[in-house]
Amino acid sequence: MAVPLIAIEGVSRRYVTASGPIDALRDVSLSVDAGEFCTIIGPSGCGKSTLLGMLGGLVVPDTGRVLIAGRPVSGPDPRTVATVFQDPGLYPWRTVVENIEFGLELQGVARADRLRTATELLGPLGLRGFAGKYPRELSGGMRQRVAIGRALAIDTPIVLMDEPFGALDEQTRMLMGEWLLEIWRRTGKTVIFVTHSLHEALALSGRVAVMSARPGRIKSLLELPMPYPRAMESPEIVALRAKLWQEIREESARAMSDA
Amino acid sequence: MKTAVARLALLAAALFAWEVVARVGSPLLYVPPSAALPALRDLLLLRSYPDLPSHLALTVREIAIAYALSVVTGLAVGFALGLYRTVGRAYGPILAALYAVPSVIWYPSLMLFFGLDAASKIAFGFLLGFFPITLAVLAGIRQVNPQLVVVARAFGARPLTIFVKVLVPGMLFTLVGGMRTGLALSVIGVIVGEILGSKAGMGALINHAYGLLRTADYVALVMVTLAVIAASDVAASLVERRARRWTE
Repeated sequence: MAVPLIAIEGVSRRYVTASGPIDALRDVSLSVDAGEFCTIIGPSGCGKSTLLGMLGGLVVPDTGRVLIAGRPVSGPDPRTVATVFQDPGLYPWRTVVENIEFGLELQGVARADRLRTATELLGPLGLRGFAGKYPRELSGGMRQRVAIGRALAIDTPIVLMDEPFGALDEQTRMLMGEWLLEIWRRTGKTVIFVTHSLHEALALSGRVAVMSARPGRIKSLLELPMPYPRAMESPEIVALRAKLWQEIREESARAMSDA
Repeated sequence: MKTAVARLALLAAALFAWEVVARVGSPLLYVPPSAALPALRDLLLLRSYPDLPSHLALTVREIAIAYALSVVTGLAVGFALGLYRTVGRAYGPILAALYAVPSVIWYPSLMLFFGLDAASKIAFGFLLGFFPITLAVLAGIRQVNPQLVVVARAFGARPLTIFVKVLVPGMLFTLVGGMRTGLALSVIGVIVGEILGSKAGMGALINHAYGLLRTADYVALVMVTLAVIAASDVAASLVERRARRWTE
C-alpha cells in the first residue's frame, strides 16, 4: 500500500489552563493523499487549529505522531508545509511584494530571484499594481490574498489553511473560494482547509472530515467526488449539505451547551 | 506666513510685558530683555565667561556618555526582562518599584560614591535615562502582534531571525519614543547633577552666576543650555518621525 502524503496517527493534546486541563484533541487519526483538497470542519474550540498546528510543526502532540511523506514532523518545515492563518499576519512595515517574499527571504533566496517569484504571483493573486502598497492600504480580501501569496511563494507541496476567509464578508468569501479552487487545480498542491462554513466545505473539498466538540476527534469522513465547479443547488450537493449539517449540528449544539 | 506673524507678535508682546514688569518690579530679580540680551551677547563673545566652551563641551560629553550607557543598559535589561519569562517575573516588579522612587534622592549617594566630578553627573544622567528606555522595550515587546511571531515561526524563522525581522521592526516606533524620552532625562540628570554640586559644566556656571547674583549672566547661561537641549530634542524627533514612517 502506498504511503499517504500526510498521516496523522492517534494524536492527542491537552492544554493546562487556569480553570483546569482541556482536552483539545483525543486520538485523532487521518490520512491525506497527495493532491487532495481536504477540509476539516467542526464547532468552535474542537481543536481544528491545534490539529493544523501539529501538521505545521508548531504544536507538539502529547501522544501519537504526524508523518509527512513517511517522516515524523519535528518542527516547522517551510520546504514542505506552508500555512495561511485566519489572521493574515502581514508585516505592516513590508510592502505587498516584501510580504510575499518573506518565506523566500528566510530561506536565503537571492533578492532578484525572490522578487521575480513574488512578482509573477501578483497576477494570479489579483494584486497586479499593488506591489508597493502596504497592508494598511489593502482590503481584507486583498490582505488574505497576500498571505496566500506568501504561502504559495515558497512552493511547498502542502498548504495548510486555517479559516483563511473567516474574517471576510460572504460575497468576498465565495469569490475567494472560487479563486482558491482555480489556484489549487493549477498547482496540484495538497490543501488542508479548516473552516466553519458548510458552503465552503461543499464547494471546495474532495473530502470533508467532521470533528466532534471537545475533546476533538474525527467524527466522520465524507467523500465529495463531484467535479468542479460545483452547482451548489444540485440534488446531490443539497443532500450532502443536509447530511453534513446533521453531523455538525449535534456537535455545535454540544459545544454550545459546554460553553 | 500668517502663523509666523502671529507667533512673532506673541513673542514681541511677551518680551514687552516682561520688560515692563521687570522694570516696575526689580530689574535685578526679574532680568528684563534689555539686560538679558546684552548678557547673552557677552556670554557668546566669551566676555563674561571666557571658559564657556570647555564647560559646554564637558556637559555635552557627560550627556553623551550618560545617554550611551542608558541606551546600552536599557536595551539589554529591557530585552532580558521582556523576552525571558523567568527573568521578567523575578526582576520586573523590582524595576517598577525603583522607578516609582524619585530619582533625585539617590543623588547624594551618587556624589559620595563617584565624587564631585563628571562621574557622579554621568551616573545620575544614566539613572534617569535608563528607566524610560527599559520600559519602552517592555512596552514595545508587548505591543508586537503575537500572530506576526507565529507566522515567522511557521515559515521557519529561528529566534534570532524573529528578533531581527519581526520584533525590532514591530516595536521600533515605541522603542525610538522611549529613547527620545531617555535622552531628555539624561540631559536633565546631568544638568541637575551639575547644579546640585560641581566645579565644572554648564550647571556649575549657572550656579556660579546665580550665587553671585549675576542674574543677567545667569539668564544668558540658561538660554545657552536650553538651546543645547532643544537641539538634541529636535534631532531625536527627526529620528522618531523616520521610525514612524517605517513602522506604520
